[in-house]
Amino acid sequence: MTNYLETHLDKFTFKVAQDRHYTTYGVWAFNQEGVVRVGLSDFLQQTSGDIAFAEVQPVGTVLAAGDVCAEIETIKVDLEILSPLAGKILRLNPSLEMTPEVINEDPYTQGWLCEIEPSDWESDLAHLLDPEAYFEIMKNQAEEELKKK
Amino acid sequence: MSKEKKVIIIPCSGIGKSFGSVSRMAAFQVTEDDRPESTQLVPLALLVLGDEAARAALENNPVIVIDGCQLACAAKMVQESGGTVAKEMAVLDFYRQNRELRPQGISQLNEGGQKLAVVLAEAVDQVVDDLTTREVENG
Repeated sequence: MTNYLETHLDKFTFKVAQDRHYTTYGVWAFNQEGVVRVGLSDFLQQTSGDIAFAEVQPVGTVLAAGDVCAEIETIKVDLEILSPLAGKILRLNPSLEMTPEVINEDPYTQGWLCEIEPSDWESDLAHLLDPEAYFEIMKNQAEEELKKK
Repeated sequence: MSKEKKVIIIPCSGIGKSFGSVSRMAAFQVTEDDRPESTQLVPLALLVLGDEAARAALENNPVIVIDGCQLACAAKMVQESGGTVAKEMAVLDFYRQNRELRPQGISQLNEGGQKLAVVLAEAVDQVVDDLTTREVENG
């Protein structure tokens, strides 16, 4: 069972799953026996708004860390999602084509984007944040967002 | 449907949101142009304020809500006000079916947003007709 770090700001609650790693931008990477699942953090999906379309690069695409692995259009913004790791896309979340809102509803479990076969996971992992580190960065980002309102 | 009975249309009240503007534009088209005799617009803000007339309009009348986002404020507020949602519609669902009509702008919707509002209004018209027919058939 996944445990979460939680912070409450104004009327919002933001969760960070503790079983995976993150980029500062809010993309998570979850290594499950050699295959890395990728998705958006709760904070990133909430601040981006309701997702209208999610288009992930096709299976077989070879990515470097930082390459665009998905393009997401919400009711507020267009997002380019940068891959947190290098590797080859093995599988896409089949739910995204018909129900991309699953990313909003369940960002850490049902709302994943793709699964990647890593080419150098240990090297990429060294550049990712553990959940506690991302949680602190995310809290600062959330406070900044709130100040804008 | 009896003369007094109307289909209540409640759009999103999201000010500053283009999807909310699409919702309201569609609601205006239905209640002012397309089906003025059989519909009545109730502003969501009045329900939030607990306005007696707005709450009374929900009693014994079918309600169509047009929500701008997944927060679904209109649907939730109708339920909190004791009404029953006959049909819940969402701008986002219509945009997904009409991706070329991307709404942008707020006080002045772009052409895509205006066209999306027309598509949405026509779908609401159809629901109004279905509800009206059902009421007549049920006496």
